[in-house]
Amino acid sequence: MPEPAPLIRVRELSLTHAGASDPAPRGVSADLRPGEVVLLLGPSGSGKSTLTLALNGLIPHSVDAAVEGSVEVAGRDTSEATVAALSTTVSMVFQDPDAQLVTGTVLDEVAFAPENLRLPAPEVLARAEAALRRTGLWERRADNPDLLSGGGRQRLAIACALATASPAMVLDEPTANLDPAGADDVFDALAEIAADPGRTLVLVEHDLDRAVRIATRVLVLDRTGALAFDGTPEEILRDRAEDLIAMGVWLPRSTLVARRLRERGIAVDPLPLTPEELGAALAAHAAAGGGAPSTALSPGDGTAPPADAAPPAGVAPPADATAAPGAPEPIIRARGLWVSRGVSRRPSRRPSRSAARGGTPILRDVDLDIAAGSLTAIVGPNGAGKTTLAQALAGVVPPPRRTVTVAGLDPATASPRELTGKVGFVFQNPEHQFVAATVFDELAHGLRLRRVPDAEIRERVGEMLARFGLGHKATVHPFLLSGGEKRRLSVGTVLIARPDVVVLDEPTFGQDHARAQELLALLHDLRRGGTTVILVTHDMHLVAEHATHVVVLEEGRIRTSGPTAEILSGPQVSLPPALRAVPDHLRPLLAEERT
Amino acid sequence: MTAAAPDGATSPAGPADEVAPPADPFAPQAAAPRHTYLHAINPLAKLGGVIPAMLLLVFVRDLVTPLAFLALAYALLLTGARLTRRTLTILLLAVPAGVLLVTLAFAVWVDPALVAGTPPLGRIGPWTLHAGALGVGAATGLRLGAILALGLVSGLTTTGPDLVRAGVQQLRIPYRIGYTALAAYRFVPRFGYELSVIRAAHRVRGHHGGRGPFARIARGWGSIVPLLASGIRHAERVALAMDARAFGAFPTRTERHLVPFRRRDAAFLALLLVTSAALFAATFPWGLPL
Repeated sequence: MPEPAPLIRVRELSLTHAGASDPAPRGVSADLRPGEVVLLLGPSGSGKSTLTLALNGLIPHSVDAAVEGSVEVAGRDTSEATVAALSTTVSMVFQDPDAQLVTGTVLDEVAFAPENLRLPAPEVLARAEAALRRTGLWERRADNPDLLSGGGRQRLAIACALATASPAMVLDEPTANLDPAGADDVFDALAEIAADPGRTLVLVEHDLDRAVRIATRVLVLDRTGALAFDGTPEEILRDRAEDLIAMGVWLPRSTLVARRLRERGIAVDPLPLTPEELGAALAAHAAAGGGAPSTALSPGDGTAPPADAAPPAGVAPPADATAAPGAPEPIIRARGLWVSRGVSRRPSRRPSRSAARGGTPILRDVDLDIAAGSLTAIVGPNGAGKTTLAQALAGVVPPPRRTVTVAGLDPATASPRELTGKVGFVFQNPEHQFVAATVFDELAHGLRLRRVPDAEIRERVGEMLARFGLGHKATVHPFLLSGGEKRRLSVGTVLIARPDVVVLDEPTFGQDHARAQELLALLHDLRRGGTTVILVTHDMHLVAEHATHVVVLEEGRIRTSGPTAEILSGPQVSLPPALRAVPDHLRPLLAEERT
Repeated sequence: MTAAAPDGATSPAGPADEVAPPADPFAPQAAAPRHTYLHAINPLAKLGGVIPAMLLLVFVRDLVTPLAFLALAYALLLTGARLTRRTLTILLLAVPAGVLLVTLAFAVWVDPALVAGTPPLGRIGPWTLHAGALGVGAATGLRLGAILALGLVSGLTTTGPDLVRAGVQQLRIPYRIGYTALAAYRFVPRFGYELSVIRAAHRVRGHHGGRGPFARIARGWGSIVPLLASGIRHAERVALAMDARAFGAFPTRTERHLVPFRRRDAAFLALLLVTSAALFAATFPWGLPL
């Protein structure tokens, strides 16, 4: 059977961003044909996003980059056609739904591209209606896009791409900014579009669980930007799993879970790509009389060490985070904590009533104890108040007076100098917390604030630079670091004050697998050194593998909290499919207890 | 915002949206009922009608002229604008309160020597409130109030997109400029949020470098850098997204929403200009002593 002619033809393509020294991607060739759903993978810095920008001519026309090799779209060289002309063949959906909105209503937004193409008004409306019906947004056509949920806004971006009637659609991490419900929403829309045999989809995604269901082909770029693998999802994700892990690329969660279980002595074979395959493999394993490790575990008992993977003594989580009688004094205690939108900026000058009075409450009457030495995850849907709770505990959002105690301090009244010695907060966007003009000063800031002698500052900053591999960047402006370096520096600025508690807001968000693991290893190190770690996350796999305790928030209230194993086997949290496929008694095996 | 819009009609889709968030510059406007004629007037006619008077009012020092224009603006708004609760709050509470506040503030602030010759109205301790001071305050307050009210004639009855469309359709402003400005509107709330996060982040890390205005300015600059960095990145992303959707493909683009300049718009403009001129001629506020 003759293959259809390629829609996009990439030949020996190397792209070097203005200011970068090495190209990424580097020498990539591929033909993308109608009917293909291409998943483009690679670690940070491999040039995935850069490559997507070249597919519709944004590189070189709108973004400054040196181009070697060529990209042909429907037979036209992209360097010779305009982006506008190419947009009728290749449409784009970007990561941030808010950065794609121009107009004031859903309908106008979808009509934007056809109007730019000077189509007659009836045709514009016909296209807009078709695109909106296909993405389930027709009923919302008169609304301001701001009123849509995150998933809804991203579906709108997909509708806008559909309205160009382009046969190829390129999506650069379309679900990265969304919670699980939003991501499901987007992939429901994409699955239908992907089924169209005349269409080519190119998809960059970190979260492979949904993408792997629609992908027909996987391209993998390595750290240098070269094309490492090109094949079917089966060939690449199953057979090359270890290579991909070594490169720092994410795998489907079911695959990662199966790898972990294999390490723990549960034979899961073959390596599953979907929760269904994982569930089937585990059922087969159980039927074959396997599961020796599971006999050592009583269901729901998170503290029992697996027989074949004994954790080191002394790191077993405390019996109960919620202050069981006889438990050690919690390091953080919150009682009757209310926080509303628009609380006072200056905690010390306004009475605490301001937090409980007026405005929409974000946190409602939260009672919480966090055990010293725990690694506690705060989870919950978007808008549940996770970040606000973490910020209130760390004094970033001043809580009302006498509602929170952190290591003996009240964050509502403590000065930053006192507070940073006890609790540090790492913001989701590292740039937000940078205050100095060099990496060295950034780290020294907290120490100068508490008048540490210069010699000691030099020594401690030097240590921190070495620990985070930033020694050669000491004089660089923090904003000029790479994404991973910025994240490490932001953690370093908090750790240098040696706080008892470190709070992190979505620390692994948007990072590749290798970097996420690196950060989590660091958190385990901290915990072993006696630091209490609190993190806000959407990622239930991270919770299952790393957290000792979980706090589940919903609409500003604590739905439940306690040791991880107990919470994950309870009815209050909805687990992602790959975790649900693992029976309760095997789930504690997923826990990371590093030696 | 629930009722269905007319199917595929070329009229602006969307019924009246009285409960739209107040800061939404994109909130759709319904085909206006007859009595709210201001909404149906071309945005340029409204703007062109009030701008000359607004500019001239800056140089006015008497009481009668601003009062007359205040009355004119209120007459237009109360008869021709859709009177939502928000509009009424602005017109009947916010503007009068603002005028009163400025009047009193200036009455207190004005140099007593300038008004020493006017009769005293009241006395608090050694300080005397002269009628002249109150007069200067009232003139200032009313002047600002009149300028604001004239601005509201256009501002309360025009949406951002319509103004841009009118600019593109009648003034031949390149649509690239108009629509870019419209997209930039969307940055504002985002920046506000981002700034609050940055300030919280900086606060929690603590300041050094001392107190006082200069240290404050230095710290303010500290929040500007991250804000600019993220703002520029955001703007770049928006620009790429617009380019990818054929923005700027041709010198013109399809306009589904025509904002015509009809005879009645010309009439409205002319009437407003003539009325303004007549008012200025009648009061002729220049050349008079303060």
